Amino acid sequence: MQVYPKINYRGGKRYFFRFSLVQRMQHIVLFTCVITLSLTGFPLRYHDQPWAEPLYNFMGGITVAPWIHRGAGSILLGLFFFHTGYWLYLFFKHRVGRLIRDDELTVGNFFKEFFSMEMIPRAQDGRDIVAMFKYLLYFTNKPPQYNRICWKEKFDYFAPYWGIPILGPAGAALWWRDEFTQIFPGWLLNAFYIMHTDEALLAALFIFFVHWYNVHYAPEKFPLGTVFLTGYLSEADMIHEHYAEYTETMKAEGLEHEIKLQGHH
Amino acid sequence: MGLLVGETVHQNMTRWHSVNILLGEKSKYALLLVLLISVLGSMLWTAPVQAEDELNCVLCHKFRGLSRIDESGNFRLFYINENLFMKGPHKRVNCMDCHRDIEKIPHDPAKKVNCTAECHLVEPSGKKKFSHKPVEKILEKSVHGRFDEDGKPKEYQEDYPTCKSCHEQPLYRPLSFFKGVSSGVSRRGLGRCKTCHQTGDFAEDFYNHVTSRLQKTRESKEIVEVCAKCHEDPAFQKRHGLDNVVASYKDTYHYKAIRFGSDRTADCVDCHIVYGESVHSVESMDSPTSATYKANIAQTCRNAECHHEAGEGIASYRVHVDYNNKEKNPMEYYMLKFFTGLMAVVLYFFIVVIFLELLRRLFPNFSFSSAERAEHRQSKSVTKGGE
Amino acid sequence: MLNLIKTVISKLYILVLMAFTIWYGFFLYPVIFGHSADHDVEVLVSEEEHGGSFLDEAQNEEESMFDAALREQGSTATTNLGYMVVEEQYVQGHFHHVGMKVESDDTNLCLRCHGAVPHDKAKSIRAFLNMHAFYVACETCHIYPKEGASEWAFRWYNKETGDIIANPPGLTSLDKSMYGNYGAKIAPGFLKSDGNFRFLNGTKERAFVTKYLKEKDILSSTQQSKLKKIIHRNINEKPLLCDSCHTSNEDKAYLPFVQLGYPKRRMYDLTSTEVVGMIEKYQDFYMPKFLLPGEGWHEGDVEDEK
Repeated sequence: MQVYPKINYRGGKRYFFRFSLVQRMQHIVLFTCVITLSLTGFPLRYHDQPWAEPLYNFMGGITVAPWIHRGAGSILLGLFFFHTGYWLYLFFKHRVGRLIRDDELTVGNFFKEFFSMEMIPRAQDGRDIVAMFKYLLYFTNKPPQYNRICWKEKFDYFAPYWGIPILGPAGAALWWRDEFTQIFPGWLLNAFYIMHTDEALLAALFIFFVHWYNVHYAPEKFPLGTVFLTGYLSEADMIHEHYAEYTETMKAEGLEHEIKLQGHH
Repeated sequence: MGLLVGETVHQNMTRWHSVNILLGEKSKYALLLVLLISVLGSMLWTAPVQAEDELNCVLCHKFRGLSRIDESGNFRLFYINENLFMKGPHKRVNCMDCHRDIEKIPHDPAKKVNCTAECHLVEPSGKKKFSHKPVEKILEKSVHGRFDEDGKPKEYQEDYPTCKSCHEQPLYRPLSFFKGVSSGVSRRGLGRCKTCHQTGDFAEDFYNHVTSRLQKTRESKEIVEVCAKCHEDPAFQKRHGLDNVVASYKDTYHYKAIRFGSDRTADCVDCHIVYGESVHSVESMDSPTSATYKANIAQTCRNAECHHEAGEGIASYRVHVDYNNKEKNPMEYYMLKFFTGLMAVVLYFFIVVIFLELLRRLFPNFSFSSAERAEHRQSKSVTKGGE
Repeated sequence: MLNLIKTVISKLYILVLMAFTIWYGFFLYPVIFGHSADHDVEVLVSEEEHGGSFLDEAQNEEESMFDAALREQGSTATTNLGYMVVEEQYVQGHFHHVGMKVESDDTNLCLRCHGAVPHDKAKSIRAFLNMHAFYVACETCHIYPKEGASEWAFRWYNKETGDIIANPPGLTSLDKSMYGNYGAKIAPGFLKSDGNFRFLNGTKERAFVTKYLKEKDILSSTQQSKLKKIIHRNINEKPLLCDSCHTSNEDKAYLPFVQLGYPKRRMYDLTSTEVVGMIEKYQDFYMPKFLLPGEGWHEGDVEDEK
């Protein structure tokens, strides 16, 4: 696996490593599928809206669009399995592997390693949220100092990671409805229909507003944050969004004296 | 009149001829003269007289504006689009075969047409006069019949459909099967028929008639609209204690696909008619012979063109779901409540957070804590001093 | 200075985003909470738009009739035959296909009060009169020059725009289904000295009617009668009769068919023996009523005549 330097210098500026190439590729597959699925799915849900028919026809109409939808859904479900394998691989290679090497593999240690993964929510996230509200409500003018993965990013991550296993199998059951009813009762399809369409709506509304605020609309990102392409985040954004990680990285790289203060707008 | 030559004159003469016959008695010698001229005319110009309008009703009825408002406040339009009239099976029927009370021209308001009367046409299979009577019999037995099992008139008689409630003048929907199925009359197919059947329009009519019967006579979208005419009306639902089945159907993929032009998913009659039976035989879901009777649902879904691989489980799938009805659809109701709640909590939480975040950016350095404010002022002056 | 501009722009952008956030909150509400219930909402809204309905409490036939007519929309029916799609006006209870959409006359002055299907008094021929009203403006028959005055000229006007047009489509074609469906109407007017044409119902008449309709609610009932009298002062007591135009002597016809662009074949139809002859029959049977529409009419008169 390629080793990424923690700090990259471009044009005399510092850039901090965030996402590896494999991760960035997964994100590209993810959003391509989600956009495709939205464009081929929501015209059906909102069939009585004036925009529905032109959009659906643009996406291939009733003969083609359902197959695009099923194709994109299959790829997305595939990505879900790939990603699960991916983090399991990393988890066993780096964490469990080290435990085995150090001969410290116990059930307790195993779970300790599991819960210490950056993406797993923890008490610090609760404290961060409190700090954030304190800051947002003007009780302090010191912004929260987030670590590498802040609570918002965890939310962003688990939204699709719980959404896909809800949407995907429900969609598959509706797709293979004949075979499905040979084993299961048909009213489950009614339930899956609600799950599929409502969870999709939640995801779309969330991404359109919350996620795109974070990466597009926000004043310092507008019109487009570039970290999803380059994998590196600028120093200013690092200070703004991940101050705890920033100071840690700077210290680790021996740049303690160059650490900038947070909150200078 | 005689100065103008050509088809025009000929046609007008024959028209005048028929008008005069209808008007009768007035002047017999004029009639004789006209007859003579028409016979001469027919000898000179051989263009066929259109059989369906030998009385030239379209002389007046071809005008789009021929209309009035009747005493019930309805707009009555007496226009006949001859081009379209010639595109359906009724093209072989004369106006007066249906409008039988018309005996003179100009005529009084015509009476309602009785669709179940015997036509002058001969039904080829039994060599009997053709009639729509069998349809009436099937309809009477169905849920749409106006009499109950004991022969008593049902309540709200005027709500029960007559022929015209669902049917407009029928139009052919021919199909071509050369190089794949497509719409319209296949000239190649017709050419084969015409090799032997050369008389008149027989071959084309026959082709149209038979191939139209090989598919739905109407597009699914139109069928849904036909049923919706009554079943979507809230007052009608209230009178008969029915759910808004049109609204719930429109929530299904069946309808959505139809809405976007598919003809492969189920419309109303696909599920509510026993496979292979007449579309007029809709029965209540409580009737054991009904396509939607509990024990028959799975078989209805499994019909050859639809879910033929489906298991018995499909019978418990609910097509008409009312998401607001706690008693009838509790699972759907509570699931929807759950997702609505989840969506509301998640999205409004983030809307508030983002709004506050933006508000914070308007005054980035302000704080309720006076100590912090002082600290900020100090650091600012330090920076300034440094410069 | 540059910093100040930067700050102002960024603050403005933040304000725009805040507005967007609030809008999104409102936008979300029906999206999240509106499922399925919106069918009911639609019905309620459309009833309210029509200014109250008897729907639930329609007591008698008259009320439900009124209600039905009030709620009727200009709906269209589509019939897809595969190889062709027939789109037409939906007329309840109409069995035969109309097969076309029809332009409504948005420009005629009289129609603003009297509607597009105005003839009703002469029961036996009202449909024929309405048929003519489809392509002949009211004033063509109901207003004609006083004796001795110079004759009027006639032009076609486009039903939607009111502009003068020559040879409207449908007039020159011999397609029977297009007869009478020209998207245009014949109306009288004057040739001015500069050679331009001015319709009889011109700017002045238009202003009268517009003003009357606008202020009707605040006028006293006596004023209303006065104004109506003035508006209608040019209307002739008796309209022109059928044989003014449908005469076997083309040169004597009131309307100049040739000048209006009627092809020879069509003109022949209008003045042919069958049409003229039929009108003569009508005169024999019904003319007493027809001459003075509405006067002395009693239900059943027609039956007696027979």
